[in-house]
Amino acid sequence: MFEHDFLALFPEIFLINATIILLIYGVVLSTSKKYDYPPLVRNVSWLGLLSVLITIILLAAGAPLTVANLFYNNLIIDNFTYFCQIFLLLSTASTIVMCLDYFKEESLNSFESIVLILLSTCSMLLMISAYDLIVMYLAIEPQSLCFYVIAALKRDSEFSTEAGLKYFILGAFSSGILLFGCSMIYGFTGVTNFEELAKIFTGYKITLFGAQSSGIFMGILFIAVGFLFKITAVPFHMWAPDVYEGSPTLVTAFFSIAPKISILANMVRVFIYGFYDPTWQQLFFFCSIASMILGALAAMAQNKVKRLLAYSSIGHVGYLFIGFSCGTIEGIQSLLIGVFIYVLMTINVFAIVLALRQNHFKYIADLGALARTNPILAITLSITMFSYAGIPPLAGFCSKFYLFFAALGCGAYLLALIGVVTSVISCFYYIRFVKIMYFDIPKTWILYKPMDREKSLLLAITLFFITFFFLYPSPFFLVTHQMALSLCL
Amino acid sequence: MEFAPICVYLIISLLLSLILISVSFLFASSSSLAYPEKLSAYECGFDPLDDARSRFDIRFYLVSILFIIFDLEVTFLFPWAVSLNKIGLFGFWSMIVFLLILTIGFIYEWKKGALDWE
Repeated sequence: MFEHDFLALFPEIFLINATIILLIYGVVLSTSKKYDYPPLVRNVSWLGLLSVLITIILLAAGAPLTVANLFYNNLIIDNFTYFCQIFLLLSTASTIVMCLDYFKEESLNSFESIVLILLSTCSMLLMISAYDLIVMYLAIEPQSLCFYVIAALKRDSEFSTEAGLKYFILGAFSSGILLFGCSMIYGFTGVTNFEELAKIFTGYKITLFGAQSSGIFMGILFIAVGFLFKITAVPFHMWAPDVYEGSPTLVTAFFSIAPKISILANMVRVFIYGFYDPTWQQLFFFCSIASMILGALAAMAQNKVKRLLAYSSIGHVGYLFIGFSCGTIEGIQSLLIGVFIYVLMTINVFAIVLALRQNHFKYIADLGALARTNPILAITLSITMFSYAGIPPLAGFCSKFYLFFAALGCGAYLLALIGVVTSVISCFYYIRFVKIMYFDIPKTWILYKPMDREKSLLLAITLFFITFFFLYPSPFFLVTHQMALSLCL
Repeated sequence: MEFAPICVYLIISLLLSLILISVSFLFASSSSLAYPEKLSAYECGFDPLDDARSRFDIRFYLVSILFIIFDLEVTFLFPWAVSLNKIGLFGFWSMIVFLLILTIGFIYEWKKGALDWE
């Protein structure tokens, strides 16, 4: 019945099977008396990394020539999902690479965290290719459920428990809002499939007080709010700094890298394709402005690294929403470029934060004189921070430039103006890192342990991309353009 | 419509139990006021040794969570069992996949020791 559908879903099926096998392997061996109850976390992480890499190969080998709708039109595979999924898997792989050393240092012996990371990756893969409101919700939920668990991974730490609880409550609330929006849409249109929704919404003037469309309007509004909660856009961002700071650093890294890709891909699919009507545009317009402003201003007052990175990610969501609220092909393309570059930079920063974890690197001031104790790492962090801030030849500059360019191209001058101003303001705190590393003499010198080989490779690769992106960006632009086209056409 | 007798049944059984409780109030002699010992907690004849508060065992939570999971499994099994002759081999195997995934969860908790009480 579904022979070809199962073939097309081969990467997901493989990843789920690999996860299950890893779970059984881990639990059987880690409770075996014969092997003296080994802590399997490092072993399972390597195997998990391997299975993610095999999934990437499987996915990349089955490049879609055209669009395929699977399982009664519930899932879709096209160029957009293809590249998004590959990118998501790459970012998961780099998160696992980052954590190889982490568990030993923290003496956390739960191999289940890797299993949960793999499971949430599976559901994020499905989330990217979701083509129906129900499938979308069903894919979002396991991902969030895995995240709630790994946020509270350190049971003996008060902060981690608090972060897990906060994340759970806010996540459940936002899922409820999203689900209410879905049921409003279903109740007023009678369909849940994106294709049919798109057919209904073409040329349908949705207004709040329209005779037939106020229910649809409320549905779109609630779905948008649910998504904005999940992506930590500004009026709905309050959980993010606490959760990012409280949960273990590895988990914070995973939170700020992988779900950004999948949720944005899903949002683009829902809003650009499903509800093609500019009613939601103003909402994202407002959220974009608010996120940029709050991200820039609130991060200035932060002393803790992870909190600062949380606000910086809020600000970056604001920049990404510039591309979203345009709704043009250039806008979508610049959004995708922005996501990719943001994820690259974030992988780099979190690899550094995880590398500097002697004495629980927590405050920015702990970076003092890093330029003398570890000059290469200091240069890496400075370049990444310059790139976050958008200093010209680096990748972050290119992403912001294209976002602002798209905003100007579609006539959203206010967005571009505020974007430029807040990006200038945010230079202040990004460059503060550089100032602390190079010019401050700390009272107590903190010497950090050398990092492991995997993390340094990851750092080198991402730094290379960030620095030399501008020399040859055309493959990247071609890919994102193809993705945007396959979405819009 | 077949729920109406059940509703009536519920009300009648509620009334009956109330009657059974109140009858003993009507006929019993109220002697507990004369002996204050009769109102104290029963601890095999001794006075209570320590505070009634004790640490709650996590295993009760574990058992109830496992119950919820397998209870949900049964709710999925009901419609499958009823419509098994219509859904064919494909429906059969899809449920087997579901059960396999649940079984793997079960093996995990078994190996982890969530089912041992002592």
